[in-house]
This record gives sequence, structure tokens and C-alpha cells, in this order.
Amino acid sequence: MSKRLSITLLTAPAMIVLLGVFLIPMLLMLLLSFQDENEAFSLKNYALFVQDPFYVQILWRTIRVSIWTVLATLVLGYPVAMYMAQATGKMRGIVTMLILAPHLISVVIRNFGWVVVLGEKGWVNESLIALGIIEQPLRLLYNELGVVIGLTDSFIAYMVLALATSMYAIDPSLNKAASILGASRVRTFFSVTLPLSLPGIIAGTTLVFSLSMSAFVTPALMGGTSVKVMPVIAYEQIMATLNWPLGAALAFLLLGSTIVLVTLYTKLIETKRYKEVFAS
Amino acid sequence: MKKINILGLITFLVLVLVNLPFLVIIPSSFTAAGYLAFPPEGFSWQWYKMILDRPEFIDSLWTSLKLAAITAVLATFLGTLAAFALSKYKFRGSGVLNALMLSPLTVPSLIIGISALLFFTRIGIAGTFTGLLLAHILISIPYVVRLVLTGLSSFDYTLEKAGYMLGAHPLRVFWDITLPLLRPAIVSGMIFSFLTSFDNVTVSLFLVAPDTTTLPLAIFTYMQETLDPLVASISSVVILLSLVFIILLEKVYGLERLFGLNSQSH
Repeated sequence: MSKRLSITLLTAPAMIVLLGVFLIPMLLMLLLSFQDENEAFSLKNYALFVQDPFYVQILWRTIRVSIWTVLATLVLGYPVAMYMAQATGKMRGIVTMLILAPHLISVVIRNFGWVVVLGEKGWVNESLIALGIIEQPLRLLYNELGVVIGLTDSFIAYMVLALATSMYAIDPSLNKAASILGASRVRTFFSVTLPLSLPGIIAGTTLVFSLSMSAFVTPALMGGTSVKVMPVIAYEQIMATLNWPLGAALAFLLLGSTIVLVTLYTKLIETKRYKEVFAS
Repeated sequence: MKKINILGLITFLVLVLVNLPFLVIIPSSFTAAGYLAFPPEGFSWQWYKMILDRPEFIDSLWTSLKLAAITAVLATFLGTLAAFALSKYKFRGSGVLNALMLSPLTVPSLIIGISALLFFTRIGIAGTFTGLLLAHILISIPYVVRLVLTGLSSFDYTLEKAGYMLGAHPLRVFWDITLPLLRPAIVSGMIFSFLTSFDNVTVSLFLVAPDTTTLPLAIFTYMQETLDPLVASISSVVILLSLVFIILLEKVYGLERLFGLNSQSH
């Protein structure tokens, strides 16, 4: 068999799926987003977004919730990654397992667990009332806080993975060198560990941001009808209102703004100095 | 030493938090009360018996298992073939092809779901099991390609050559040499595809009809209307099922390696 024939035969089946279920449908969706009711070319779906402050508000809320999620996963995930980098083989394996395994169980189920914990008659509220700390149950669900908690739980594994990967690459003798030169632990952290983990921070924050921007299930279950984000609005246009062109346009606007924001952010943070250090 | 302890404490708290949903769901599924409560009140199997009276959960569990199993087999087959071509041959455009194989990972599920719905409606397979299956295969292929490529990157092709030199048929070489050496990568690709399909909501959401609903989606829909211990008992069933596959994955391949964390790096 010739080399070319082998390559074609081996890759053709996957390529057919990729073409028929991904590339062609995406193209179709893009074309559809530029159509009006009469299937004529129109920019009105995109124009609506600029004209109607409703959609801008929704996008801004989506961005806000995503930024809070990024901050929460970073603050909680950083110590975990540091611990994993310092831990010995067995302990590291256990921590990795316990942080990754939940990630392989459906997000619907994890969200349900949080509803039981955070609901008005949930565990947290009942405990706080029983302890006499509060009188009225706190509103921990069906608002932006609830969505951020749910998303943080969903995506913290990605953050920890990104951070841990960059921390495993830090030569431990650098820490020793810093302490021999008389640096305190705090100084070592800010002068050695933190700067050298920057690639992990950038990878983790951009990944968690992108995932949060397009998350649908958690905002739907933990935000309820009061915290609508872009994916929920796009879903409603597609499945309830049946305005497919607008739904498609909203989904692309979301993707577009995510890409623009992520690009700006990486441009801003990857300074000349950064590129020199992490050139490889 | 003190620093490790503070880090350890935070790590412990985070681990408790990410596992809290399960620590809460499983006990509350055994409640004797008629409403959701944690800590549960009393002990009873009533909410598990109740599942049997709900055909929508039984049917969707069956759909989900069937879908995940077929997805796993087909995605692994297609992905492994493509990974072989990408690893074994150097050719023009192999970089593009590689990026293309992984590209479904970089696009939000929301867009994959919507675009599949639009196209499938046009060709008449929206709401069918076939449509759902195709979409699930699509989102699983990148994982298989990545896993098998990783497996192949350390594969010693001289072993295949040795087989040929000893006069073995190419199929025999493949079956007796190549496949056994790649088994961990292929099997973990299969398990991971199974879990990807079994967990998926966002893509399925756009492609199911009432009679092809998957279990996570049935739970999702039920949860938006009613929150009772029935959700807890059916969720516990899913958790246990997933756990079996997660443990299998850990045994066959190791979660650390699966997620690209190399524990041997220092």
C-alpha cells in the first residue's frame, strides 16, 4: 500500500465525522447568523446586540461572573498546586486523584449537591440558624454568588492542573538557593515561585475564563431565572423562541468577545521580559 | 515545615469542598423524610424504590449507557486510526490535520450543540439516536487522538520492523506487537470517551427528543421543576457507576498521566 493511500484510509473516517458534525455545521451556523426572517443577508442580529442594552448587560454579567470564578479558582487552586509540587509521590497521587475524580462526574450532579448545601433549607443555612448566627436564611443560590460557587467547583481542577504543571517545572534547588542567600519564605515566594509559575497562571486563568464564559448548566441550575448569562439566552433563542439566526449570532458574539478578551489579557501580561524568561 | 502545614490545610479544605456534593448527595438519598434534608432524617431505601416507578429515569439510563458504550467503541476506533497516521507518517499538512482532530476541544460545547442541531435538522437526523451518537463521537475523538498519540510517541517502531523481518504478516504484527503495547492508551481513550459521553449535557441538550433523553439531561430537566430526594437517589446511582469507570481509568492509565501531569518530573 502506498503511503498516501494509508494516510487517507486511516484518517478518512475521523475526518468524515469532523466535517459532517463539526466543520460544515459551524459554517452553516455562521451563515445563518447573518440572515433575517426571509433568509436574506442581514446584519440585524449583530446590530441588535449593539442597539439593545439588554444584551450588553447580559454579556457584562457573563464576563463579571467569569472573572469572579477565575479569581476564586486561582486563590483556592494556587495553594493546592504548591502543596502538590512539594508533596512526595504518594501524597501527591492522593491529592491529584481527589481533585480530578469529581471532575469526571456529571456537572448536573455536582450542582445538585451544591443546591442541597446552599439552599434556603440547605445545610449551611440550617446550621447557621441552629447556631444562632443568623435569623433569616442567607440567599446563597439563584444569584451571582451561587453561580460563581458552582463554576468554581466545576473548573478548579483545570486551574490546579495548569498551575501544578508549571510548578513541577520549577527547579527545587532555586528555593534552596534563595534561602541560602537569606531570603525569607515570603520573599522566596514572591521572587522565585510566583514569577516562575506565571505560565501556569496565564494558562489556568485563560482556560477557566473561557470555560466560564460558555458554561450553560451551572448558571441554569444555580442561577435560576434571575441570573441569565449569554449561553442561557442563546439557548432560549434556539430552543424556546425558535429564533435560530439570533441564537446563532449570540453564541458567536459570546465566542468572539471571549477570544478578544483573552487575547488582550495575554498581550498585556506577556511582556518583553516574560518572553525572554520563558522563551523556550 | 510550618509552610507545608498551612498549604496542607488549605489543600485539605479545597479537597473537601470539591467532594462535598457527593458527601451530601449520597447520605441524603437514604432519608426517610419526604423532602430533601441534610443531614438525612432516618434511614430508608424508599427513594431508590421510587426510581423504579419512574420510567423516564430507567429509559434514559439505558439510553445513556448504550450511547456511551457505542460512542466509546467508535470514537476509539476512529481516533486510534487517525492517531496512527499522524504518528507513523511524516507528511505535508500533518500539523494542520493534528490541529483539526483536536479542534472540537477548543470550541464551546454550546456552539457544537447549536451547530449540530441546525445541520441535523436540515439532513433530518435531529432528535434521533444517530444524531446524538455522531455528536458524542465528535467530542470524544480529540481525547482519543491525544491519548493514543502520547502512547505512540514512546512507541518503538523497531519492534514492528523486527516482526516483519521474522516474516510475520502485517496484521499479525499489528495484533501481536503494536496493539498490546498501546493497550493502556487505547483502553483509557475508550473509558474516557465513555465518561465524556455519559456526563455530557450541553451538547445533548440540543439533540435529544423526548424518547432519546439521556440520564444527565433527565436529571437536569427534573431538577428545574422539583427538588426532592429522588434526585439524590438517582444521582447516587450515577456517582457509583461513574466511580467504577474512574477507578478503572486510574488502574489502567493513572489520572495524573491522563490529565498530563507527569509525577516523574522531579
